[in-house]
This record gives sequence, C-alpha cells and structure tokens, in this order.
Amino acid sequence: MERRSFLKVAAATAAAAGTGLLANKASAADAVTIALIPGLTADGFYVTMHKGAEAAAKALGVNLLYQGGAKWDATLQIPIVEAVIAKKPAAILIAPNDKQQLVGPLKKAFDAGIQIVCVDTFIGNGVFQTGSGDADFPISYVASDNILGGKMAAAALAKAVGGKGKVYVSNTLPNVSTTDQREQGFKEGMKAFPDIQVLETQFNGDDANKAAAQFQAVLGRAPDLVGVFGANLFSASGAGNGAKQAGVAGKVKIAGFDAPESIVKDLKDGTFEMTIAQHPAEIGYFGLVAAYAKVTNNPVPTAIGTGFTVMTKANIDDPNVAKYIYSSK
Amino acid sequence: MQALDKVSLNVYPGEVVALAGDNGAGKSTIIKAISGVFQLDEGEILLDGRKVSFTSPQEARDNGIETIYQDLALADNLSIGANIFLGREPMTRWLGILPVIDRAKMAQAAKSTMEQLDFHVTRLDAPVAAFSGGQRQAVAIGRAIFWNARLVIMDEPTAALGVPEQRKVISLIQSLKAAGKGIIFISHNLRDIFEVADRIVVFRRGENAGERKPAETSGDEIVRLMVGK
Amino acid sequence: MTTAALASPTSRPSLLMRVAELRAWLFLIVLVIFFETWTRIGYGTSFLFSLYNLQAIAVFAAMPLLLGLGQTFVIISAGIDLSLAFVMGLASVVAAHLTNIGATNFGMSQPVAMLFGILVGVAITIIPGLVNGWLIAYLSVPPFIGTLGMYGVSRGAAYLLAGGMTIAVDNDWYSQIGNGRAFGYIPILVIITAAACLILHYMLSQTRFGQHTYAMGASKAAANRAGINIKMLTLKIYVLSAIMGGVAGAMYTGRFSAGAPQAGEALLLDSIAAVVIGGASLFGGSGTIWGTVAGAFVIAVIQYGLVLVDVEPFWQFIAVGGVIIVSVLVDQTQRRYLGGRQAE
Repeated sequence: MERRSFLKVAAATAAAAGTGLLANKASAADAVTIALIPGLTADGFYVTMHKGAEAAAKALGVNLLYQGGAKWDATLQIPIVEAVIAKKPAAILIAPNDKQQLVGPLKKAFDAGIQIVCVDTFIGNGVFQTGSGDADFPISYVASDNILGGKMAAAALAKAVGGKGKVYVSNTLPNVSTTDQREQGFKEGMKAFPDIQVLETQFNGDDANKAAAQFQAVLGRAPDLVGVFGANLFSASGAGNGAKQAGVAGKVKIAGFDAPESIVKDLKDGTFEMTIAQHPAEIGYFGLVAAYAKVTNNPVPTAIGTGFTVMTKANIDDPNVAKYIYSSK
Repeated sequence: MQALDKVSLNVYPGEVVALAGDNGAGKSTIIKAISGVFQLDEGEILLDGRKVSFTSPQEARDNGIETIYQDLALADNLSIGANIFLGREPMTRWLGILPVIDRAKMAQAAKSTMEQLDFHVTRLDAPVAAFSGGQRQAVAIGRAIFWNARLVIMDEPTAALGVPEQRKVISLIQSLKAAGKGIIFISHNLRDIFEVADRIVVFRRGENAGERKPAETSGDEIVRLMVGK
Repeated sequence: MTTAALASPTSRPSLLMRVAELRAWLFLIVLVIFFETWTRIGYGTSFLFSLYNLQAIAVFAAMPLLLGLGQTFVIISAGIDLSLAFVMGLASVVAAHLTNIGATNFGMSQPVAMLFGILVGVAITIIPGLVNGWLIAYLSVPPFIGTLGMYGVSRGAAYLLAGGMTIAVDNDWYSQIGNGRAFGYIPILVIITAAACLILHYMLSQTRFGQHTYAMGASKAAANRAGINIKMLTLKIYVLSAIMGGVAGAMYTGRFSAGAPQAGEALLLDSIAAVVIGGASLFGGSGTIWGTVAGAFVIAVIQYGLVLVDVEPFWQFIAVGGVIIVSVLVDQTQRRYLGGRQAE
C-alpha cells in the first residue's frame, strides 16, 4: 500500500533551517530546554511521539523535559502547564486536552516568553499566526492530518468492499478534535462512492465492549452492512470483536485507526481489514524541530502535517511498514 | 475517671429490679460490666454464687445474661427469626450436600418465641423495620428469651414509645418475670418503675444511694435519693 | 397472663410488596415488550426471539454484570467500590503479561499458559481488595474515599505494567474462552458469568457471610452486638469484589486478545447502576444478586435496543441515566409506602 506523506513543505523548511540549525547548535552556549506535554502519558501513541521528540532533541543538543497527566483531562493538564512554565523552557510542545480550556494557561506561557507548538490536538481552531483570534499565538500545529486519514480510510475501505454497501463509523465521544476530524474525512471521502451508504455514527465512550454490542445491533438492523470505520483503537477492536461474535469476521471489513503492537495479530487473523497508522514519532520529531527553529530565530511553517501508512495483512510483514507500529521499545 | 465505687447489686430469679439514677450515676457502666463489655478493676460478679468474669459480651450471653440496649441492636432489614439467630445462624444441608442457612428453623423459632410473648402479626417473616417500636422491643425481648437468658438486662425499654406501647412492654416484662427470669431495667420513667419493679436500686455518682421496695416508698423519695437531698 | 395482642404491622397488600421486590424484572419485561413492538413494526423482525440478539445482549451484559456481582455485596454492606474501574484493568494487564511470559519464558503450552495468566491475574486483585478492606475496616476511611484512592493506585499500577499500551496476547485457547460458543450456541463468557451469578447468589442468600453482610448494612452496631466480626467481614467483602473485578479483567483479555489498563473504566458506573436498578439502596441493607442480574440486563437491553432500532446516539446517553433516576424514584416511593429495607 502506498505511503503518503506531506513532508514536502516541512522537509524543505527543515532542511533549509537544518543547515542554519546545526550552525546555531555549535554556537549555543547553554543547551536549549524544550518541554513536551503529551495528551496523556499512558498511551502508546504518545509514548512513540516522545521517542521521536527525544531523537530530535538528541540530534540538536536540546534538553527535553517530559511531563504529562495520566488521563486525558484538562483539569490534570492545566496545573502541569503551570508547573512547566515555572521551569522556564524555551518552548512547550503540547497536545492540549481541550480546545478552549488550555488557551488561557498557554497564553500565560507565551506571555512569559515561551514558544508554543501544538502537537496532535490543538487549541482554538488549529490555524495559527493568522493575526486574529485569541488562540493565535502558537507557532505551529504539527499533527497527522486527521481529515486526510479519514479520507484514506474511506478510500481503502471502499476498495475493500467493492464500492457498494452500507458502512458506519464507530466513534468514541463527540467533540474530540482528532476523532471528529477522522469521521469528517471518512464521510467526505465516501462521497466519491455513491453506492456506499454511510449510516449514523455510533458512540461507544472508548469502550470496546460497547463498540462490539453496537456493531451487532447495527448488523441486526442492516444485514447488508459491509464495512466499519473505527475512529480509534478501542472503537475498531470492539467492532472487530462484534464481527467475530456475529460470525461475520472478514465478511464485514473493519478499518481501524492507529497501530499498537496488537495490530499485527489483528491484521493477520482478519479482525481488521486494514488500519491507518499515524506517524507519532514524526509528530514528535518535527514538533521539536519546529520549536527549536523558532527559538533559534528561524522561520517555521504554521502547519505541519505528518503522514499515514495504510497497513494490511499483505504488507504488515514488510519492515518498511512494520516500523510504524507504535512500539514501547 | 472512676465510674463506680462501692456499689453492689443483687438480683434473684423471678425478680424485677429497677435501676434508677441521674445521668452519669453509673447505671450504664454497671450494666456493661455485668454483660461483659467492661472488665471490673476491683470487685466481683457472682452468678449463682460462683465468681465470674466475662471478657466479652458473647461470654456473658453464653452464661445466660442478655442485654437489650436502647437501640435494640436489631437488623432492620432482617426478619424476626434472622434477628433471633443473628451471628449464630443455624445451618442445614440442601440435598444433603450444600450447607445452607436453616430458614425453616429460624421461622419456627420466631413463631414459638413470639407466641410465648403473645405477639401476633400477619407476616412473621417481614423485616422488623415494618414493626412499631413496641413490637420491635418485643422482638428484642423474644431474642433474649429464645436463648434462655436467665438474666435479662434492659436499658430504657420504654423510652422511645408512646403510652399504649409502654403498657405492652411492661406486660412483657411481667411475662418474663412469670417465667422465672431475673430482670434488671434502667429507667427514668417512675410510673413504669413503680408498676413493675420488685425493688428499686438508686445510684448516685457511682455509688449506691439507696434501695427501696415500691410499696414502701414514693416517687418523691426516689428522686431525692437520685439527686442527693 | 394476658398481654394486649400487638396489632399486625401490615395491612398493606403483600402482593404490592412482591411487585416491589421484582421491580427490576418488571422493568426488563416492559423494555423487551417495547423493543419487540418496535422491531416488529419497524423492521418486521423479532427482538426477543432472535438468538442473535440474545447472544449479543448476553455477551454485552457479561462483564458489567461480573463487576456488579461483587458490587452487590459491597453496596448491601453500605459501602461502595470505585476501585473496580482499574482493578479490572490491572487484572487484564497482568493476565496478558503472564500468559505471554508463561509461553515464552516457561515454555508452557497454550492452555497452561492461559490458566497461569488467568490465575495470577485474578489473584493479584486480592491485594487492592485487602487494601480497600483494611482502609475501610481498620482505619475507618469512608468507602467512597478509600476505594477512590485504590482507583488511583490501581490505575497507576495498571498503566505502569502496561507501559501505556495494550498488551497483545496470542493464545487461541484464551481467545476461545472469551469468544467461543459451547455447543455452538451459548457463549462461554456467558456460561462463566452465569456460574458466577449462581455462586454469589448462594453466598449471599444461603451463607452466614451473606446474612451478616445484610446485617452490617442495616446496622453495624447490631451486627457487632451479635458477635459478628465486622472488620473481618468488611475485608472479605472488598476482597470478593476485587476478585470479581479480576475475573472480569481476565475475561476481557481473552475476548479482545489484549490486556488493557482501562478495560473496566467505562464499566464501573454501569456496575453500580445495575445494582441500584436491581433494587439495592445505596444506604445499604438491601439488594439481591438476581436483582443485579436484572439491572445489568436492563442496561444492556436499552443500549443494544436503541442502536438496533436506529435511535439517534444522543438518546442512548440519556436513556440509561433516565432508567436509574426512575429506579431510584420508584425505590423511594416503595420505601415510603411499604416501609423498611428488605433482605432476601
């Protein structure tokens, strides 16, 4: 399967900045300190993002701080932001837990001279440095382009089901920017396939047990269901389990999102037809590079979209594909 | 702090002793000492002339002393039978193998005990919360009888009851007396004391303040003994 | 001797009392009739007489019900166990790890590795159970606070052990336990859950342990006076609850072929709701295992049914909350008119 990436803009800038960066690195008297605040610590995606950031930090001689909440919760993240401000890093990379609630605390950081880069999720509307709005101050938004990811899932799933039939989206909770965008992208992508009907989205609260039951219920009323797009891991794995329980595993195709280690088995035994793997290490890496570039007075693109890899049973053993599995090692 | 000093108390079978005294006189303390909640620092308790010393309420109960506190210590959500057997539920075997609670035995115990007390309700297996104050008092007393208490101690048995129910509890005490039990009851209710007690013992500030037979004294005198005039 | 006969306490019809006791089941029947009507009219299919639907609902209800079984004992004793949310996940992760370790490091065969994983996964929950019981019984910490503390500790432990990810398990036997069907029809998961229901029903209604749990919920003082060791009883209750969390967690790992620290997070409130809908009072003293079973199925039927008949998802959020409120209101009314809490 193809690998798409949108590194062109970023690569050009990074390369251009790179030469300048290395020159700066040699001359920096003290190591620059940059902090990374993930969406939550206990999550393979962010663990991998951290590793990417660490790799960039090592390459650039940056001192990387890492502080996060154990749960996706703005009330946990805000005090962490404030504690990090006190450590006076040059920049903060953050995956904000809430579009609105983190605007204030991050503005405080910005006013204290700390540059802000949003990774994975955003504050405000994610479009920065436009000159308008109160959440305009971050220098860049580095993330998977979740809308694109949704579109890729739609294209891949449509192909897998032969271009017709009923599908639905299994989502976690409404109003989470990442999964909302994936759903949005999926629905837009499916418009290109007029013979595919997208049924009402089901919300499972990030509970695989519920996602499984919802799958069975939808199948119960729509026996001609051919595919499901799980907007995150538990949504997909729950739907996959539902398919197994209903005896239609492999007949109803499940497209998942994200690639934890368990994905290998899930692809091979047909629980998932495919998964859209993000590149969190790249997000971390380019996020850190962007922050460092700004701190060393280099220009930075306001949006950096990292790419995806569509993983299937056919390609998962290919090392070039397998390297994108979110690994704790 | 010394709660009791130089007190003595005798009770005989078939006798009702009322224990009167102002707050802090030591009535509850001596009750708790007799029923095994407290241990005496000095002095002795004689049961049938034998010296005894109980280290726990269960031991006192095993020796035939049952105490009914003001809150009755009933489990509201359980039936009469379940309350009677609380803590020592009888077991039997279902199909000869599986140990189960012997509810039939508990129900039978409830029936026979309540009959003894002339206590009639439509549903003997109802949770005791469904009963009135006086009825619950009867259940507590029934529990004491079932375990063949020889000495029944009651702490303010009529305190929270309306007048008609107070009458009923008094007649229950008379039933116990007729059955040959010894009874000590703490009360502030002079009317009840004079109606049913054979002897009235008054404590004041941890000491004996006097002992009278109801026929030989008056309410005023008892009160005087209680407050010390 | 004559004593005035004490008047009968109830002139209320005992039929009404029976109805109240079976309230959760009546609720369930009403729901089933409701959905049956809807599916017949809207889709021309049956809700109840569909093996497919029954299987789906039973599997859906299984894990929340397992949690609810232990929670029943806790709630009857006038306590609550919030730690189950992550005790289940802890067990799930440990079971996953040890199944893998058993196979890789000890060369165990699949069934043995699976048993090893399950056993240790369930056994590890004894620790949070003991800590809960100790905090509540010996340090007199209110159950809400104590178990909330263990919620946090178990969460930390589970996530630490899982390294922030899910732990994949590749074990066909284990997957069969979670997904297989006996005789092709009855999901093994459902059989295990049913067995747990029977065992815990026996414990609650036929043993001294169960009887004392009820007594303690009504009045700790009464239980104490009756010579019951309240502290030991409390310990046992919370250990039992934690073990049920362990069983649920072990089942999760089998079903999804992965151990997840947050496996039980979404199920905690459903487990409490099941117990409450089933007739228990959060103040303690009442509740039954079969009531909890009915409560768990009420929740499962609503959530499954609403998706089946294609009701907009936001109504699903409201529905379960609504059922709980109605349950509690009915319960309050019942207590007012019929008086008192009821044990089995």
